[in-house]
Amino acid sequence: MSRLPIAVDAMGGDKAPDEIVQGAMRAAAEIGDVVLVGRPEALGTDHGLDVIPASEVIAMDADPGSSVRRMKDSSLVRAAEAVRDGKASAMVSAGNTGATMASALLRMGRIKSVARPAIATPIPVPAGSPTVLLDAGANAECQAQWLVQFAQMGAVLARERYGVARPKVGLLSIGEEANKGNPLVKETYPLLAEAELDGEFIGNVEGRDIMTDDVDVVVTDGFTGNVALKTLEGGLKAVVNALFGVFGASDEAKAAAEVLMPHLLPLYAQLDPDSHGGAMLLGVDGVCIISHGSSSATAVVNAVRVAAEMVDHGVVDKLRTAVTA
Amino acid sequence: MPAETHVEQGPLDRNSVFELIRDRLADILEIEPSVIKEGDSFVDDLDADSLALIELVEALEEELGERSVGFHIDDEDLADLKTVRDAVDYVVARLGG
Repeated sequence: MSRLPIAVDAMGGDKAPDEIVQGAMRAAAEIGDVVLVGRPEALGTDHGLDVIPASEVIAMDADPGSSVRRMKDSSLVRAAEAVRDGKASAMVSAGNTGATMASALLRMGRIKSVARPAIATPIPVPAGSPTVLLDAGANAECQAQWLVQFAQMGAVLARERYGVARPKVGLLSIGEEANKGNPLVKETYPLLAEAELDGEFIGNVEGRDIMTDDVDVVVTDGFTGNVALKTLEGGLKAVVNALFGVFGASDEAKAAAEVLMPHLLPLYAQLDPDSHGGAMLLGVDGVCIISHGSSSATAVVNAVRVAAEMVDHGVVDKLRTAVTA
Repeated sequence: MPAETHVEQGPLDRNSVFELIRDRLADILEIEPSVIKEGDSFVDDLDADSLALIELVEALEEELGERSVGFHIDDEDLADLKTVRDAVDYVVARLGG
């Protein structure tokens, strides 16, 4: 299938532009056409990729809305415009998350009937397909009807991206019972129970369920979702560091680690955020992948792969159909 | 300073500016235009977040830029626009109405 190139914001991220360009080159070789967006003089000439020139860079800590309005020749804005103008099929950025969302929203526009775009982050599940967590940070405060739309969009993503035929959708709360939770959760529960979903609403789920096969899509507001995401990331990192500490603690442990390591490394790779290619901004009228700020070249390759799959699966059109006002 | 106006299109009166802002805001917030009143607070009554307001500003600049060359809403003025009425007054003043 022919596909327009995927626009990679070469200036966004802690390791930009070098790691981003390296990742884009690998992605072009392994996946398909990629176009870099950024300052040509900063990208060198050895990459062999087309470049959409952009003279400005939105800093990681810049205010999203005003920077997107002010810096019209920034790599983020130009990448979003490339999608809007039909020069690229999708955009990928490891830059400022809020500015990526603002660029996509203001330049690509929203899918009609979507009240608010949401960030959908794949949470790794050992020996299973990832759980889609949304909203992972786009909307700190939400209304119940928005959460219903997040559920509808998340179910489409679980099916299209991870092949789950009938996704199990859960509402993140502090207990499984319908009467547990804050006012937003209590208001959302009956709406979800009645909503048209491309999946099955299984009721409330708890934080401990996110990394299990019990649920495929976890819906929550952006504040809670971001806290949950960062807690899981920090917890996983702490466990991995502690394990490596134990492995190096004695000769006996080192010998055991040598035997175990070939079995543990695939698990480590599965749990590594770089393997999952970043989060997807659902609800804008185009494909936008938001990668981790510390993305490596491998993370960029995987982000481009996710973008390509979303384009090839026509996910935006499927979201358009799935979301009800 | 008021933006320069085109001669092809007549100036917008205050009610037309209100209707334009109301309709664009309704599109952005996915609500019925009829529920938006001039006295509504963007944040407290309409649940419009900062990105929604920037969507509104960009939509107004695009629409009104076709009528008034160089029509622009300054970012530093955005913080003062708390209500729909504030926005209507601001746009009318910028259009030289």
